[in-house]
Amino acid sequence: MEMRNQKSAGRYTRQSKRTIKLFLFLVGVLLVMFFVSMGAGHLTLSLIDIFKTLIGSGTDSHALLLFQFRIPRLLVAVLVGIGMGVAGAVFQGITQNELADPGIIGIHSGSGLFVVMFLYLTSLYEGSQPWCTQLSLPFVAFIGGITAALMIYILAWKSGVTPVRLILVGIGLNAGFSALLLLVQLKMSDSDFNRALVWLSGSIWNASWQSVWSLLPWILIFLPLTLYKARILAVMQLGEEMALGLGTRVEKEKFLLLIIGVAMAAASVAVAGGIAFLGLVAPHLSRRLVGGKFLRLIPITAVVGAILMVVSDTLARTLLAPAEIPVGLIVSVLGAPYFIYLLMTIKD
Amino acid sequence: MKKLGMTGLTLALLLTACGEENTVDETEETAEEPVQEEIETGPVTLKDGMGREVEIPEDPENIIASYLEDYLVALDVTPAAQWSISDGAGVQNYLQEELGDVPTIPYDLPYESVLEFSPDLLILRDQPEEDMVSQYAQIAPTYVLESQPTDWRGTLTEIGEVLGEETKAEEVIDAYDQEATEARDLVSENAEGESAAAVWMVDTSLFVVHPERSSGAVLYGDAGFEVPEVVSDLSGDADWAAVSLEELAQMDVDRLFFISDNGEEALTEDRLWQNIPAVENDQVHVFASDSAWLYYGPTANEQVLGHIEDSIAND
Repeated sequence: MEMRNQKSAGRYTRQSKRTIKLFLFLVGVLLVMFFVSMGAGHLTLSLIDIFKTLIGSGTDSHALLLFQFRIPRLLVAVLVGIGMGVAGAVFQGITQNELADPGIIGIHSGSGLFVVMFLYLTSLYEGSQPWCTQLSLPFVAFIGGITAALMIYILAWKSGVTPVRLILVGIGLNAGFSALLLLVQLKMSDSDFNRALVWLSGSIWNASWQSVWSLLPWILIFLPLTLYKARILAVMQLGEEMALGLGTRVEKEKFLLLIIGVAMAAASVAVAGGIAFLGLVAPHLSRRLVGGKFLRLIPITAVVGAILMVVSDTLARTLLAPAEIPVGLIVSVLGAPYFIYLLMTIKD
Repeated sequence: MKKLGMTGLTLALLLTACGEENTVDETEETAEEPVQEEIETGPVTLKDGMGREVEIPEDPENIIASYLEDYLVALDVTPAAQWSISDGAGVQNYLQEELGDVPTIPYDLPYESVLEFSPDLLILRDQPEEDMVSQYAQIAPTYVLESQPTDWRGTLTEIGEVLGEETKAEEVIDAYDQEATEARDLVSENAEGESAAAVWMVDTSLFVVHPERSSGAVLYGDAGFEVPEVVSDLSGDADWAAVSLEELAQMDVDRLFFISDNGEEALTEDRLWQNIPAVENDQVHVFASDSAWLYYGPTANEQVLGHIEDSIAND
């Protein structure tokens, strides 16, 4: 699939060879999961059906099922997994805080609030176009995410920002945004309310090619940027004083990285709604696999995030088929215990 | 401050941009349609409630019109699948005589469930999400109704047009009006000048029907019962308005059509309840909550008329 690791293979140490192997292995796993997921669902497709359809000799209804419903949805899962996973890694890098997940600290609800307000306002317009709304959503979410991030930073600032303070302020702000969200939702009509509710709990059952196209550019632009900035993150890991000593303009770089992180998280939120814990679990699992060096961590996180999303969405589609569980709930059920475990073991 | 202004400006731009594209895109939307045209022969093109041009196949056989089955039943059309909740456990019971053998489909119409029935026509209502409609349209021609849910005659006429059953729709309405006249005659014979109310009890909460909607339209508009003052005061924008027992007692109502699964048990001990004229004179008619009283449509209304006639005839 993607060969993003080429960049990270700059220096050929034994470790980076190992990382490349691991990366390829994980991409393989992702591909296998992708195919399994293509076949799974309310209507089951065999591998033969899938291949036949892919080379264009399947039945019309299989083609419709795969090309219009399952594949776009899977691609959205992959992109959201990459976006939220990497955003989590970036946030954890900037804040030097292993618990900084954009979902937990309120970036998602900030984006969500703006998106829901935007949807509400456009629903008042008679003739708003769905494709246009769809394409604007990531931008709106981005503005909401940045607003939330700045508020967290300003509120958490007390001659510097300590990790725990940041998390606490973030959780508080998250609650505030959620309350505002509910307020906006209550102004909506019943059907819009339900729509917003399902979307907010994290759902991609509605994903179409439109969602893919609205998310893809954001990932294509900001993922390479993250990799490019990975060195800066690595330097910041040494502590801010050391980073300053090494000639890094810490505050400016922090701000740039913040924008990158928010962009990836917000674009994902715009398409999939608030999926919490993904930005926490994906980087953590990856850190277990390859250690904390960001040049190695980012690509691995991207694939791990994608795998987690594809697996969760497959479960979301099949557990109660034909009914759906919002994929965000599945991710939370898997992620929340991990978060608690981390909270219990982390040293302040 | 400057930044705030900028973001505000951007948001405003995005909002207006999405509003104004309307006229340009109309042509584009029709250009997208051919995908679905290939399937059918000799179709009719209709403009639906969302302003989309929809090609209706000549003789649709596999129709899915979720929660609109009432109208299909009235038009003697059997749908390919029927509305349900809780994985088929909950269906519209009052229609099961006609729909007993029809398989169920979840109320939220998952794409794959729809695909499973390979329908050749989808009729939807209340579908605010245009992107979903365009996904459904790839499965089968998808017509979104224009008429209001509260207007069953308009809905029936519109569905009749879509299915090429205009005459049948007219006949159904005429037959209904005929029956309504009979019921009205019966009411003026046996219950001249009486007031009535349909009250729905959920757990311990009471709701009273809107005088122009659902079974309220039948009770007052068709059968000709008097509308108690409290009912017309309470009616807002909901089909059923919450009402307290005190208000119900004030209503001074001669006849109660009481929709509840546990009868009036929970209330029989209550003084307020006992003092309602309808209760004193034993004019409370109880119906189950899955009967037609809570629904809309010609079939539901006809059944409600029947219930009313039976109740008065029992006197």
